[in-house]
Amino acid sequence: MITAGIDMGAKFIKVLLLKDGEIMAKAQEMAGFEPVEAAEKAFSKALSESRLSKEDVNAIFATGAGRKAAPFAQDSITEVGAAARGVTHSHPSVRTIIEVGAEEGRAVKCNEQGKVEDFAINEKCAAGAGSFTEAMSRALEVPLDEFGRISLTSSKSIPMNAQCAVFAESEVVSLVHAKTPKADIARAVHDAIASRIVSMVRRVGINNDVALIGGVSYNPGFVDSLNRGLETTVIIPENAEYTGALGAAIVAAERNKND
Amino acid sequence: MAEYKTEPLKCWNKAKELRLKYYKDYQEAHKKGGIRWTGGAWALDAVPAGLGRDVYNITGEPYGASIAFDKKFSLECMEATEAKGWARDLCSYMRNYWGSMYLNKFAFGGEYPEPDFCYQDHICCSHAKWYQHVAEYKKTPYFCVDVSVGPYNELDENRLMFVVNQLHEAIEWMEKTTGRKYQDELLIEAVENECRSTSTWAEICCLNMAKPAPLDEKTMYSLYVHGTLAKHKKEVADFYEELRDEVKYRVENNIAALPNEKCRLMSDTQPPWGFLKVFRYLEKYGAISIGSLYTFGLIGIWETKPDGAWGPRTTPMQKGEKITNRDQALRILADWNLSKPEWQHFYDPDLKTEMMLQIVKQWKLDGVMLHLNRGCEGLTCGIMENRLGIAKTGTPIMTFEGNMGDEREFDEKQVMTRIDSFMETLGLQMMTV
Amino acid sequence: MFKQFFEWYEKRHDYARDWIAKNNSDVVGCFCSYVPEEIIYAAGLLPVRLLGSHEPQDVTEPHIFGMFCPFCRDVLAQGLKGRCDYMKGITIAQSCLHLRQSFTSWENHVPVDYAYYLPMPSKVQTRHARPYLKGEYERYIKSLEEWTGKRISNEALRESAELHNENRRLMHEVYDLRKDPNPSVTGSEAMVMVVSSFLVDKKDHNAELKRILPELKSRTLDRETGSRLMIVGSENDDTKFIKMVESVGATIICDDHCTGTRYFWNETKFENGDILQDLADRYIDRPACPSKDWEERTRFPHILQMAKDFNIDGVIIIQQKFCDPHENDIPILSEYLKENGFPTLFLEFDVTVPLGPMRVRVEAFLEMLSEEELF
Repeated sequence: MITAGIDMGAKFIKVLLLKDGEIMAKAQEMAGFEPVEAAEKAFSKALSESRLSKEDVNAIFATGAGRKAAPFAQDSITEVGAAARGVTHSHPSVRTIIEVGAEEGRAVKCNEQGKVEDFAINEKCAAGAGSFTEAMSRALEVPLDEFGRISLTSSKSIPMNAQCAVFAESEVVSLVHAKTPKADIARAVHDAIASRIVSMVRRVGINNDVALIGGVSYNPGFVDSLNRGLETTVIIPENAEYTGALGAAIVAAERNKND
Repeated sequence: MAEYKTEPLKCWNKAKELRLKYYKDYQEAHKKGGIRWTGGAWALDAVPAGLGRDVYNITGEPYGASIAFDKKFSLECMEATEAKGWARDLCSYMRNYWGSMYLNKFAFGGEYPEPDFCYQDHICCSHAKWYQHVAEYKKTPYFCVDVSVGPYNELDENRLMFVVNQLHEAIEWMEKTTGRKYQDELLIEAVENECRSTSTWAEICCLNMAKPAPLDEKTMYSLYVHGTLAKHKKEVADFYEELRDEVKYRVENNIAALPNEKCRLMSDTQPPWGFLKVFRYLEKYGAISIGSLYTFGLIGIWETKPDGAWGPRTTPMQKGEKITNRDQALRILADWNLSKPEWQHFYDPDLKTEMMLQIVKQWKLDGVMLHLNRGCEGLTCGIMENRLGIAKTGTPIMTFEGNMGDEREFDEKQVMTRIDSFMETLGLQMMTV
Repeated sequence: MFKQFFEWYEKRHDYARDWIAKNNSDVVGCFCSYVPEEIIYAAGLLPVRLLGSHEPQDVTEPHIFGMFCPFCRDVLAQGLKGRCDYMKGITIAQSCLHLRQSFTSWENHVPVDYAYYLPMPSKVQTRHARPYLKGEYERYIKSLEEWTGKRISNEALRESAELHNENRRLMHEVYDLRKDPNPSVTGSEAMVMVVSSFLVDKKDHNAELKRILPELKSRTLDRETGSRLMIVGSENDDTKFIKMVESVGATIICDDHCTGTRYFWNETKFENGDILQDLADRYIDRPACPSKDWEERTRFPHILQMAKDFNIDGVIIIQQKFCDPHENDIPILSEYLKENGFPTLFLEFDVTVPLGPMRVRVEAFLEMLSEEELF
């Protein structure tokens, strides 16, 4: 059985081909203004990488923010369900999945089969997402990929409230004026966002093993802060950005087993 | 292929007419020398009824909800309120109401009708303050009854008397304020009507235990509203009996609210009034909300029966009790209202969790959806503990954030996505037919 | 001179543990300043008001929805983090909904032996509230007696009431010194004096007050008084904020806060020949929390009178973010004060406040006040 998962993310479209539980190929394209075209392109790329044609694929499922517009897909599942299936496929010991993207943070509780038992999504007054990190790295004039790294060099814990992102930004400005070292501010920012995420995760419970996916998982400063807040070490799956597509492909296979 | 047959409610039009008549009566009250008072839906409205048969009221919460339906007008009201310096996180019903007052625009056409007095109950932080401001703005006399005397299961004579004494005081105050002589027979009639209408509403909610459910929650909102407007009026009590008979008929004949009922849910807190389409969205999955503690217990009065089941509270009349004097009427009225299910969580969220779990069991539900309502701190009080308590039992539960009266705080796409995720966890797929 | 008060404030948990050991008794955590502390003290227990710690936290989201005030969540966090593990009992006297959730969640998730919910009336303006509250106090006493296994005598209640009255009188004496054109007490010091009073045994607090008062009366501070400000609002023990205000050319002279004058302003009067009724009357007659200030607005004339008595230049109105009770008063209060010649500045607080932006607002306000004087 060969299935495909298409993750119609807001920024990137990711496609993954799965054969009998093994990943055959993956490809991604920037969504841009033409996400459907981008999806088609990514799909073609994945097909050629695995030397398959479209007819070889038994079923295609979509996920992601734009999943309803995915071309070729027979059905779709939400990011919550996709994350649970995708992560437990490669890491069956995971029971809690944290996904932090640019705009949204999610926490999912699942069982060993990847079935979602509970989930939480950030509420208005506790949002902690990647776009805040980006904005702060710009404010401190530090490239985003360095921002995480320099925060690891700090050993100081400066409490930042960050309940409201606007207030938090003011606090950063105050710290800059007080000539606080950039590394310490960077760590404070990561600690604050991680704290918001940990708060949300507590709603579903922190059950080991805990996995982290989403764009912010590439930020070592944030990961460090998160580990400290959770009092555990999160697993970051390889090719974490394809977790959604993988989950969709797995569900596609399951739903078509009887056909 | 639909599994069950369905048909619209026969008394639907009557429900609509009754509601519109209520607002019209209020607006035109002065034309025939009648009295107008404004207050909350929980203000013990049987009391002013003793002033005469030409006493009309508008209750702020349904009025605030009516404004919320009209998104354009609601935004005008919100902005007018904010222009006066009021915070955006205050009760959204109150902000809609105040806006209508500031703009001098009645939601049902014409100008905001001046009340003769304000009469309110106090249980959440904003209740008494709401009409304090209306009274100072409109220079109207104001009386408020403090009903926050603890949970019903701990009621003692001292607590009951605190409420009853205030009601006695309210009557004397109303006589002075209106110059009218109070008529105890009218009070007694009103109390009996209230017991009848609120108990009958609970009966109607109980009929929704049937599978398929004869009513869906969105429909129920248009029906419980009469209890929030004038539960002390004979026409409301009579209407509920008529409605109950029709719903009984639906149950006996397997007439469903949702022909494809696959999954039974309950919600909690007021719905986002500007986005009731959320309920229609659920139906795409074959999911129906059969009600909530809010819909059941806002005006419904309940009791635990000897067999442990939850059911309509037995009225004094059903017990053969005859009300003969003012004090007795007020005691019964106070006790009756203090047992209201929606008043218990103000003191302990566990009391609400217990009732919610009872509903899950008795109405045979598959899941619970909590509306984290930023527009009402009263009904959202303790809601996260309710969530924990329900999740502990393994009952699937989800939350979505919103606002009952301020549509700027409701993110439609986000909520629909969460519902999709929740439906997935329940193993439901959207029906393509 | 206020070092002891600061220490009690900063090391409150250590003090509580010492007190428990020394007195072989227990501490009862109080949610809200309407709790009748005199009764708890007469039972041989120490009433301690629960405060937050002004730190961001990540433990309360599963318990209290984010739209409720940061203070109530900060309070609950102390319990959830085990900082009050010595506290065997808790009590709340109902006022606002926000803090009630801290109490009920604490009861559910923090190990305590005793938890009591006292339905303090909100309609304090009705004469019926008095016998009602007395009845509630009788119920509360029975419950405490059951827990401690000891009877609470009328004599003990009277003694306790008088001790608390003495504390109030002494704090009034300190506040009176602030009426001086160049007060010998800063707002920062006064705040920590009042806040520490509900964290420690009144005997200790009275002794310390008696010790410093004579010195205080002759003390002169080496600072400019600057603008005389009054601060009005909900719970506030933000010492950093007060220090900042007093460093930019102003002095906080008086306040209307639940952790300030609303806590100690009025004494118990022994007029009923019935100590419980006397206590009930005291809590009914005290300066009201906004959620209890209706149908008449009694807070406003009270605040205005204080502003006049203390010769205030301007009023800073603060509220905890999302605090509905205060939000229900603030716009009208602002107008009222302005009409009566007192300019106001409105600030919204969280558990930590961004001092930079706050300073900008306060300095602009002070500039405005000094311009008022010029014109």
